[in-house]
Amino acid sequence: MTIYNLHIFDRNGTCLYYVEWNRRKSAGMSQSEEFKLMYGMIHSIKSFVSRISPTDLKDGFLNFKTNRYKLHFFETPSGLKIVINTDLGVGNIRDTLHQIYSNIYVEYVVRNPVCDLDKPITSELFQTKLDEFIRGLPFFPSRIN
Amino acid sequence: MASITKQKPSPLDKPLSKGKAEVNIATFALLFSEMVQYCQNRVYSVSELQTKLSEMGQHVGSHLLDLLFVREQGYKRETKLLKMLLFIKTNFWKTLYGKEADRLEHSNDDERTYYIIETEHLVNKFISVPKDKAKLNCAAFTAGIIEAVLNGANFPCKVTAHWHKGTTFMIEFDESVIARDKMVEGR
Amino acid sequence: MSRQGTRGVDPRKVNGELFTLTYGALVAQLLRDYEDDDEVNKQLEKMGYNIGVRLIEDFLARNNSSRCNDFRETADIISKVGFKMYLGITPVVSNWSPAGDEFSLLIENNPLADFVELPPGHNNLNFSNLLCGVLKGALEMVQMDVDVRFVQDQLKGDNITELRLKFLRRLEDAIPVGED
Repeated sequence: MTIYNLHIFDRNGTCLYYVEWNRRKSAGMSQSEEFKLMYGMIHSIKSFVSRISPTDLKDGFLNFKTNRYKLHFFETPSGLKIVINTDLGVGNIRDTLHQIYSNIYVEYVVRNPVCDLDKPITSELFQTKLDEFIRGLPFFPSRIN
Repeated sequence: MASITKQKPSPLDKPLSKGKAEVNIATFALLFSEMVQYCQNRVYSVSELQTKLSEMGQHVGSHLLDLLFVREQGYKRETKLLKMLLFIKTNFWKTLYGKEADRLEHSNDDERTYYIIETEHLVNKFISVPKDKAKLNCAAFTAGIIEAVLNGANFPCKVTAHWHKGTTFMIEFDESVIARDKMVEGR
Repeated sequence: MSRQGTRGVDPRKVNGELFTLTYGALVAQLLRDYEDDDEVNKQLEKMGYNIGVRLIEDFLARNNSSRCNDFRETADIISKVGFKMYLGITPVVSNWSPAGDEFSLLIENNPLADFVELPPGHNNLNFSNLLCGVLKGALEMVQMDVDVRFVQDQLKGDNITELRLKFLRRLEDAIPVGED
């Protein structure tokens, strides 16, 4: 199992943070275009999912799969969005996404008065903690050596 | 019929609270960081910022003093320097921060100087100082509190906060305090 | 020498007096820095707003709650969960408007105003105006545009402190650039 990359968007669509681990192929566009594409797609799926739903939705859009990867989506009521791409072996990781939000984002960005909430995150402490957390996950790659 | 004239209540009409109420650390942390940012926008240097924080701390300290003495000591004020310092290190610190201060030390070179040392002080737990302001220690606020309490108890001094073994509060007493204390001890 | 192990105090809490007096020191500073009460009120609200947008994230991280279904649910959560968690009090929710878009929070023991006496000559000062900003900022982050103001204040001789919240509109999520 493996984790490819992670995006954090604020509610205005600004990509606050992006990091990748085992991504081997690029999207063939600039990073800012890729962020826009990702945010736009998330926005569309969300509205599609809620419109098409036969009953009241509770959590809404959670994830989708292709035959190569799985995209996991988590949104807080304040509109912060976390998107993680993994391979197909990874199951439901909502708890993990919630932990990233509460134990890492809130702890090291929200609590830190020198971090602006609507600008890309530059805090080294945040970066280190997130990286440690992801690398410590049971489904972080078991790559050969 | 109830009177319609409004009368401002005096805080003296209310019973003195027992000091048990506590608030969430997040509430305090966010208020404090707004204060720091507010002050920062109105000053030009780190030392000015520390002075401003210290002044706010003194405001807090001067109000705290009476509440603390009434509650903790049964109206008796300390007159001996060392006892007063121990009161700060133990009861006072415990009331405010939930623990005693880590250490109290007397300077080797200067008999007027004492240190209270805290490895991880409350206000520094949630503030990360930007690299260009590495000297800034927001515990200047706490230093102001201590200074006001000591001054109010008739131990005139100057208290400053420094990054040393965590946070060190340096307390420099007036000459008069030391002289008086020697007289009291000598009696 | 220190007795770390024996502290019977919740490390996630701080002394209420330290908090109250710290707030008092802030207001005192603002009164020195600004000419008139309205400016101070504005500044307090602004600082409150900044606190609110951060506080809501802390709140959401600790309460696994989803968006509220209606304003009544919001009122309940503000009082019973929000105020309780961050200030240790539970204001009474009352005085609903017939349309259900406006209510009051009645506060008996305002922790911000403990041991406070309004300084003379500051009749327009809303000492606890920070609260308005906090509520406004926090609610805005969960897509609610709400007007918050003090209508009664014990510091001004009223029997109770009353905050009035009026729902204005639901804010929409940002639409991605280049789409309509």
